[in-house]
Amino acid sequence: MRLRFFSCFAAVALAGLAHAAQAPLRAPRLADGRPDLQGIWQSSGNTGAFNLEEHPAAYGTPAGASVIVDPPDGKLPYLPGMREKAVENSKNRWRDPVGRCNPHGAPRFVLPPFPFMIVQDREYVVFLSETSHDVRIIPMDGRPHVKDYWAWEGDSRGRWESDTLVIDVTGFNGKTWLDQAGNFVDENLRVVERFTMTGPDTIAYEATVDDPTVYARPWTIRATLRRAPKDVELLEYACLEGERDAPHYPK
Amino acid sequence: MRPIIRSSLALAILAAALSAAAAPQNRGGVPDLRGIWQAEVTANVNLEGHAAQAGIPAAKSAIVSPSSGRIPYKPDAVARRRENFARRAEADPQTKCFQAGVPRATYAGAPFQIFQTSDRVVIVYQDVHAYRIIFTDGRPHYEGIEFYMGDSRGRWEAGTFVVDARNFMAGTWLDMAGNYHSEALHVVERYTRTGPASMTYEATIEDPNVFTAPWTIRIPLRRLTAPDAQILEDQCVEDANGLPRHVPPFKNR
Repeated sequence: MRLRFFSCFAAVALAGLAHAAQAPLRAPRLADGRPDLQGIWQSSGNTGAFNLEEHPAAYGTPAGASVIVDPPDGKLPYLPGMREKAVENSKNRWRDPVGRCNPHGAPRFVLPPFPFMIVQDREYVVFLSETSHDVRIIPMDGRPHVKDYWAWEGDSRGRWESDTLVIDVTGFNGKTWLDQAGNFVDENLRVVERFTMTGPDTIAYEATVDDPTVYARPWTIRATLRRAPKDVELLEYACLEGERDAPHYPK
Repeated sequence: MRPIIRSSLALAILAAALSAAAAPQNRGGVPDLRGIWQAEVTANVNLEGHAAQAGIPAAKSAIVSPSSGRIPYKPDAVARRRENFARRAEADPQTKCFQAGVPRATYAGAPFQIFQTSDRVVIVYQDVHAYRIIFTDGRPHYEGIEFYMGDSRGRWEAGTFVVDARNFMAGTWLDMAGNYHSEALHVVERYTRTGPASMTYEATIEDPNVFTAPWTIRIPLRRLTAPDAQILEDQCVEDANGLPRHVPPFKNR
């Protein structure tokens, strides 16, 4: 893990040096000096939407490497008996909550091949996903979490650690899946996300997932977000509008 | 003499303070609409005004033009409103958790939050977490794409944010009473700050398939000023019978 981290870091540093020959590698900044993360972003170069863990190709699923960087083996550190539940989920994918218009939740929302927009307005950062018109409004003013919150998206609080946007998310209802393979969480979930611009058009995304009733230890995924081409804008997503699947699901 | 000067000075200061309070300015010199807002009226029950009913007080029409307070339906379009009204318990798209559309999202009941950046205004509605991205950089409307929440372009006219919304999907309603529109709907909204915690919302509604003339509603909005005010999650999920229902984001409630 440590090795991989350093080599990744070194690659970024090298890219920065190479770039510095022409212009210093600088992320755009807002008037208040904070990094300007605004724009439309999409994760790329991973198949984490299908399965966070390493997986072979299967019907409708491309093969892919694990997006889990900790633990170093890239495997979800399920508590005894919990992986069986994920396997059961994977055999019943119709149960995937996003198939019924429910939010992806963190960290899944960054992984699907749909774009999302970041808006920064002084004391707020807002994520607008095109998928299911999901929204996360993230206060940056240090207010405490909402008490007894129990929601698909959880309750997000943000802060800056140097140039990294750090978001602490609690108050989940625990019903979300982490991917299409049925990897899951429960309501004791806590996610800490880190967004760091590594260039004008790239963000290093990292999420540490802690759920002591499902996993033996916290674990971390990493993904690269790329800025969408200039003419891309979010349009609209409709899900419950015209929904006709529900009666056909197994009871 | 001196006291008069002093009081007129005080008046001038007071007037300046009041006008600043009346129209808070954003850094870019445009009105500051940011904050969490909520309609103070029950227009969602019926834009035309309504008698008292269980849990809802009677209300005057929200329609300020025409002066009759009545929606100017074309003669052949009224029947549809009556049918909608009769079937409203199951036919109102809001009961099926559709995005409310415009202008209904403004007065659908739940608060909404406005964000402002240099080239767009974003409105996030608590109701089914619908949102609108309103470009303010002068770009044209989309061609050939229809939206439940409309395709919105905004501009600043003195102290007012004016939004031109078009390219609507047919199928959303304007209120619970079955007032409706077609895909030819065109809405011009006007957001005007009137005080530190108040704003006037006006919408002129035009739809030549349904109405004989444009008509205008006016809705007072109040800003939620509690420091912990927050847009909460409003997710609609299907119950065991496949019927969508709102789930409050709190445990055991």
